[in-house]
Parts: sequence; C-alpha cells; structure tokens
Amino acid sequence: MKQTGFATGVIRKMKRTTYALLVTAVALAVAVVVSCGKQPSTASKELEVACFKGGYGIDFFEQAAREYERSHPGVKIKVWGNPRVWEQLRPRFVAGNPPDLTYPGWGMDHWALVYEGQVIPLDEYLDTPPYGKTEGKWRDTFEPSLLELCQYQGKTYMLPYFFSMLGWWYNKEMFEQNGWKPPRTWSELLNLCEKIKAKGIAPITYQGIYPAYAVSGFLIPWVISAGGIEAFDNAQNLVPGAWKSPAFLKAAQMMDELRRRGYFQEGANGMDHTGAQMEFLSGRAAMIPCGTWLHSEMRNVMPKGFRMGFMLPPILDGGKGDPTAVGIGIEPWMVPTKGKNRELAIDFYKYMTSLEKAKQFVEAKGTLMSIRGSDQANFPEHLKEPVEVFRNAKTVWSVEYRQWYPKLGKAVEDTTAALLAGDITPQQFVERLEQAAEATRQDKNIPKHTYTRGKAR
Amino acid sequence: MTPRARAVFITGFLLPATALYAVFVVMPVVQAFAFSLYRWRGISANRTFIGLENFRHLFADPIVWMALRHNLLLFLGTSVAILVLSLALAHAIGSDSRAARLLRSVYLFPQVISLVVVAILWMFILNPSFGILNAALKAVGLERWAIAWLGEKSTALASIGVAHVWHALGFYIMLFAAALRTIPPDVIEAATLDGATGLTRLRYVTLPMLWAVLRIALVYMAIGTMNIFSLVFLMTQGGPDRATEVMLTYLYEQAFKHSEFGYATALAVVNFVLVMALSGTILALFRHNPQEGKA
Amino acid sequence: MIRRVLVAAGLWVFALSVVVPLLWVLVTAFKTGAEIFTSPWGVPHTLQWENFARAWQEAGIARYFMNSLLVTLATLAILLPIGAMAAYIFARYPFRGSKWLFGAFLGGMMFPLFLTIVPLFFLLARLQLLDTLHGLTLVYVAYSLPFTVFVLTGFFQTLPQEMLEAALIDGCGHARAFWKVMLPLAKPGIIVVGVFNAIGLWNEYPLALVIMTSDERRTLPLGIANLLMVEQYQSDWGALFAGLVIVMLPVLFVYWLFRDRIHETMVAGALKG
Repeated sequence: MKQTGFATGVIRKMKRTTYALLVTAVALAVAVVVSCGKQPSTASKELEVACFKGGYGIDFFEQAAREYERSHPGVKIKVWGNPRVWEQLRPRFVAGNPPDLTYPGWGMDHWALVYEGQVIPLDEYLDTPPYGKTEGKWRDTFEPSLLELCQYQGKTYMLPYFFSMLGWWYNKEMFEQNGWKPPRTWSELLNLCEKIKAKGIAPITYQGIYPAYAVSGFLIPWVISAGGIEAFDNAQNLVPGAWKSPAFLKAAQMMDELRRRGYFQEGANGMDHTGAQMEFLSGRAAMIPCGTWLHSEMRNVMPKGFRMGFMLPPILDGGKGDPTAVGIGIEPWMVPTKGKNRELAIDFYKYMTSLEKAKQFVEAKGTLMSIRGSDQANFPEHLKEPVEVFRNAKTVWSVEYRQWYPKLGKAVEDTTAALLAGDITPQQFVERLEQAAEATRQDKNIPKHTYTRGKAR
Repeated sequence: MTPRARAVFITGFLLPATALYAVFVVMPVVQAFAFSLYRWRGISANRTFIGLENFRHLFADPIVWMALRHNLLLFLGTSVAILVLSLALAHAIGSDSRAARLLRSVYLFPQVISLVVVAILWMFILNPSFGILNAALKAVGLERWAIAWLGEKSTALASIGVAHVWHALGFYIMLFAAALRTIPPDVIEAATLDGATGLTRLRYVTLPMLWAVLRIALVYMAIGTMNIFSLVFLMTQGGPDRATEVMLTYLYEQAFKHSEFGYATALAVVNFVLVMALSGTILALFRHNPQEGKA
Repeated sequence: MIRRVLVAAGLWVFALSVVVPLLWVLVTAFKTGAEIFTSPWGVPHTLQWENFARAWQEAGIARYFMNSLLVTLATLAILLPIGAMAAYIFARYPFRGSKWLFGAFLGGMMFPLFLTIVPLFFLLARLQLLDTLHGLTLVYVAYSLPFTVFVLTGFFQTLPQEMLEAALIDGCGHARAFWKVMLPLAKPGIIVVGVFNAIGLWNEYPLALVIMTSDERRTLPLGIANLLMVEQYQSDWGALFAGLVIVMLPVLFVYWLFRDRIHETMVAGALKG
C-alpha cells in the first residue's frame, strides 16, 4: 500500500510516544485549569510598562526606559505594547495581575477601570515635586486644561502624555492656485464651497463609516459656536434638554444645509477614514475634518510635495461661542491599583514627562505634548499652524461623553450618520440625541460624571 | 478482549479528544450560560448576580430586535437568491464534461478564500468613488444608480447580502448538483416523456426528489446567516446608523466596547437558542414532502 | 432552447464574477498606492514587485505567514490522530453512552463560536494561554474536532470488518490493529479531512481575533485585517493587496490539488448531515 499522504505519515511517526505526550499535555492543561493559574514572581525593582502601539510607536518609551535604567542602577524596566493591547490587559486586570504602569490606548474603557477601583488616584503624587526636583508640584508641569479631563469626583486617575488637536485640513496648493482663502465664518464657507463646486471639486469630504470624525469636526464645533461652550458642557454633563438645545439644532441645520447644497463629497457616507483621506490627498476634495495625526497616518500615500493647511472649523457669523475654541483629544496613562511597584512607576512617568523628554517627543514624533513649555520645541512644518491655533485658544474642549458613556457616544455617532445621509431632519436629530442622553441619565448602573471648567487650575 | 481491557482501550482512545473538547468547548459553553446571569464589566473580578435581569433588559432592547430583524432579512434574502440561482445552475454543472468540472472547481474559490479577503474585495467593488460597480453603472448611463452602497441605509444590508451570496453560492450549486445526480435518470426520462418540462418538471419531479437536501441546505443557510459576523464587522461595522447591525456585531460591541460582558453572553445564549429554534422550525415545516404519496 | 442558453450564460457569468475580482486583486497587488486610487481598474504602469517585499518584510506578513503555517500544521498534527482515535471508537466499539457522547461532539458543529468566546477568553487567560500560538493551536484542535470526528466516523464505518479480524488473529492488539491496519485504510478520508481543516484553519478569523493580540504572534487573516483596520497604520495599499495575494495563493493551490476529493466530502458531509 502506498503511504505518501503527509497526514498518515505524520500519524505513523507519532504513534505511541506521541499518544503518551498528548495525554500528558491534556492532563496538564486540565490540572492548570483546576489550579487557576499562577502569579509570576517579581523582584522589587522590576517595572512592567504596557503601551498601546499606535502611529507613534513605542520606541520612544523603550528608549526612555533604557535611559532611566542607566541612571537608576538595579532598576529593570520592561516596555511592551501592540495595537490591541487593551484586549490583553482586560484579563490581566480581572486576574489581579496588571502591569505597573499602562497606556492602554483608545480601545480601553478607561472609566470602567476607575469605577472598578483598578487604577489609583494620583493627586497625592501630583503634589510632590517633578522629576529630579526638590520643590514645586508635578501637577503644575501639565497643561491644566488637559489634566482636568482626567478627573472623576474630584480625583485625578489618569495622566495625559501627547495630545491631538481637532480641526479641518485644506489643500494648500489648490487654494493658492485658485486664490481661495481658508474660510473663517459660515458665510465665507458657503461662498467658498460654491466656488469649489463650480470647479468640479467636492468642497468637503469626511470619513463616513466612522461618524466620530463628523461629530468632532462639524457637530461639536458648531454647537459651541452657536451656543457657547456652556451648550456643550451642559450636554456632556447630561443637563436635561441640553442635547436638544437651540445650539444643537442650529449645528444640525448647518450640517443638513451643507448636505442639501451638495457641498459634501458624494458617497462620503460609505468611505472609511483612509478612503476619504485619500480623496482629500488626491485633490478630489478640498477640505476634510481630521486631527493632527492626519499627516503621519497618510505619509506613505501622500503625493510628493502635497501641502496641507490646518484651520478651525468656520464659525457661525455672530455666534455666541469663543471663536478661538479648539477641540483636543488625549490618550491617558494610568497606574493600576494592583501593580507591584507603584512608587517606581510614578517616578518613571515623572521622568517621561520631564520638560526635556517632552520636547524630545515633540521633535521625534511630530505631535503636541501636554507638558507646559514643550511647545518651544522644533515642530515639523505641518504642525506649525496647529501649534499657533492652540497657543491662541482661550477655550479648549474635548469629547469626553464618548469615554464616560460609551453607549451615548455610539448613539450620537449613529444619529450623526443618519443626519448626514439625509435620513432624518435636524429636528428629529436633536430629539434622538436627547432621547439617548435621557436613557443614559435614567440608567442607574452608569456612574455619572460632571465636568466643571477651570477646576484643575 | 476482556471487558476491562476493552474499557481501558476505549477510554485511552477517547480521552485526548474528549478532554480537549470538554475543556475548550463544553466548559466555555456552560460558563457562558452562567455569565449571562451576572452584571459584569469584564475588567475586574467583581460580579453581581442579577438573575434574569440581562434577559429582561435584552427583550426590551430595541437594537436587539433590529439586529435580529437584519439577521432574518439576510436569511430570507440570501436563501431565496441562493436557492433560485443554485437550482438554476446545478442542472447544467452535474455532468462530467471538462467545462463542467472546471466550472465546479472555480465556483468553490470564494468558499476557500478567507472571509477577510471577501470583505476587502467587496468593499473595493462597492467603493463610492472608484468601485467597479459604480464605474460600470456610469458607463451604461445609470449615473443616478451610482451611490455609496455601503453608506446608504437602504442598500447597505443588501450589499452585505450580495457579498454573502457570492461567498456561499458555489457550495450550494455543488450540493444540488450532487443531489441531482442521485436522481435515477429514468425518472427524469419518464417525466420528460410525459411532457413535463421546465418549471413543471422542477415542481413535480426535481424538487420532491431534492426535498431532503433542500431541508438541510435551508438549515445550513439559517445557521450561516444567524451567525454572520466577519463580513459585517469588516465591511460596515454595523453601520450606517445600525442599518447592518446583526446579533453578533452587537454582541461584540457590548462586550468589548461597552464592557457589558454579562449582557453580551446573554445575547450569545439568546442567539444560540434562536438558531436552534429556527433550524427546528425549518426541519418541522419541511418535514412532509408535499409530493409524496401523490404520484 | 432559450432556457438552456440562459442557464449556460448564468454559469459563465457566475464563473466570471468569481474569477475577475480575484484577478483584479492580483493585478492591483502590482500597483503603486496612488495608482490603486486613481485608476483602480486599470493595469499597472510598471510592476511593483516592491509591494510584495514590503508586505513580506515591513508589514510583517512573513511572520504572520509562518505563524499561520505553524498553527495550521501543529493543529493538524494533534487533531488528526486524536480525532481519528475518537472516531474509530465511535464507529467500531459502541459502549453505553457512546451515542450520547457522539451527539455531544456533533453539537459542536451547531454552536455559534460566539457563545463561547467570552468565557474562552478568560479561560485562556487563566491558563496563561492567551496570545500564545500553542494556546491557539489547542483551541483550534478542540473546535475542529466535531467536523473531524463526524466525517472520520463515517469513514471507519465503511471499512471492511475482515481486515480488522485478520489483524487481530495475527496477534495484533486492538490498538496496534488500529495504527497498523485501520488507520492506513482510512487514509483517503484523513487526507480530505486534513485538507478541509487546513483551509478552514488558514482562514480562521473570529477566534484568532479574540485570542491573539500581540503583533508578532498574529496569524495571516488577523495581520491582513489589521493592515486594513488599525487607524494608526500608515496606509500602504500596495502592500495590503500583495498581502491578500499571499493569503489566497496557498489556499487556492492546496484546494486545486485536492479539489475533486474536497467536492466529494463537502457534498457527502452535507447529504448525510
């Protein structure tokens, strides 16, 4: 009998020895289940740092760890990370075996960690001197508006590192060639869009499959412009009626008007972020809402010599809101309660947030940092405008409800998609938002946050 | 062999498979039923026993019903499409000619490549600005029909259905082709001599002979569409505005985005019961072959 | 007559609808990132072999490929012997409760994977098997058992009893008779089950999605999906399509080699089910 099939070959070779091995392996597996896993032993001076590995990589943190080890003999720091680190951290938290310091990334439900007592309040440490200093407060080295975003019931549970700014980008080349100026107001925007459209170019495109971009690029800026920052703060704080306030209605009407006038790129609803951003880069659309990460995200497919300019979303003519208001987003770091080396973790993070390291991060990665004074670093070309905008900003806002109340966040995004598709009217839009907010308000199992402006100053 | 030796032999041969199966399949299934009775964020060891609360909540959750409706629509839409197409094509492909063999092999391509590839492929075909579908529509003067297929509430679910049919059709063509070959040729001949052609022959001869296979095929389709996940997750994330939300994408959202692990497992349990119920219903509805005993 | 023309047209239209998109993926894999978007359905200006190099090296496809290969082969190496052993018992050595146990195995084919994913995730975490290739292998073995046992039981039932009896008379023990005589006889079935499982395992996505998290241990479908999805990824479409080709080719090749046997099993399994 010919016996060439590889499966049978494998089986013949395996036979009894393997069978014994298999049985042992399975028995072991069962034994481990019963004994519930083991705790790895840790020496007192070992530190484990788990990081989200996004567009900026984790090499900078690894480098910082090596430097810290050199100046602190006996300390060993293990930095690791990947783009889905949060999924690995979940079971580690459940098992009570988390890392000592972590930056879990946007996919982690941060506040759930706080509610479950899995991360420690850091205020006691924030009041101690910064890295290598004997006086002053670590707290004061952070941009206060960013530190505010990390608080719950008066305590600070997270710490910011770099941050992104949200706004619109425009095709500089195209604008210069046609003598167009970035629009500052709504009426300027409508005028300009008409001209762009006449040229056969889509005035505005957006990342329709992920409506979060449209929320932070159209909806929130116009809510703030129409009703002042209170209109948005109240909404985030779930004040009854805030999500259907005249400011939200106005913002929805503005989005609806752009759609009806055909100023949005056709088909944008079906585009993912890369697709829409590619439309912008290839010159088929003139403007796109996106954060300051756009450049590093698209640099591989950017046409040679492509120049893009940053602008705040045009404000409503005579709007109530602060015209310098700017949206930002942070991806915080935290110290797990059950970490084994709390003090060391804090000291290492203090090192990472020292002004010197912060400036290095800005220059190496081309992004903004939450450390005061780090804006004195050398920014890459595409960030110079955003930095200027941030320096001039008198009001800073951030989409916090999305992290506080993930279900509300999802509802706002779905409803925005429906509005942009023309499936619902602005009036229906605000009704649905208020309904979603009401559901969150009524749900006793969802812990509530209140955001008070300026409390961290 | 003594009874004792026989017992040792049987146990030894069954143990590896049974142990692995018990640990990694049966135990999680049992646990899933248990988790569904808790409120649990899946982020610490804290769990609160809440009895049937998750299930009560689930039946009042409009999104669950919406997702379920989408699953059922996908089932109805794709199964009709698959049945019509595969029955129409199966006849011609059953022969042993070289062309038939070649076609058979090609038809299974979509089935053997990864669903991830299928999803990406269809995202490009349906892409609003450079997809081949819109390019073709524009070429024949149907500009008005060139829309963002995955971005419109009215077409997103159907688009996913088309991708699913493309993926699954080959299997059913093969299945019916094989079943047709089991029909004795003289039965067909007799029917043809009696003057039965086309639809008449399909109704009075082919369908009754295929009844058992049809039943199973429908159950397969029900399981496939009730458990659809990868295509939706990759192509639309359940959007726009939940227009393509299905049970399993909603489950994923609840568990991994909203930290509602108890609720997510309750969803899984309900989905499982529904799959079983739907399969059972199909088997019961199609128990009696309508043509049996008539002829 | 018209009907026959229609059916023939239908046959070829469907065949084209299958082949054309796949060819398109192949052609696209040779384009520059910009070409993919500016002339998605045209032919590449120059063949960009670098796409494959980039996919293979920089995007980590080489590693994903090895991971997938390793997990698939390791799974088969465990699955086929233990599956065959269990199937042999179910086919030849009925005992009290054997029907029930067989039913429990078959039930696994009806279970939606998602029912078990959350508990499985934490079970693996407790076993320290989460995000390990051997953990994924064990899970794959367990989840492939129902189909494997089902098909192989059918195979062993069809084998002639006389061969076994002859072996036993020759002084073989029951175990030895299985390895020496019955298993080699079941070779055709085992090959088909092996190929079938290999294709399924090579393409498996949802289980790997939840179990594997670190970059260096991803399997191919995860790696490809990741190229597509991770927001922070620096878009490189040429490499993505080259990656798609790398995922598809081995499967299509193996499928082409074994296509006739696969057709038979696929259909036989469904007809019996």
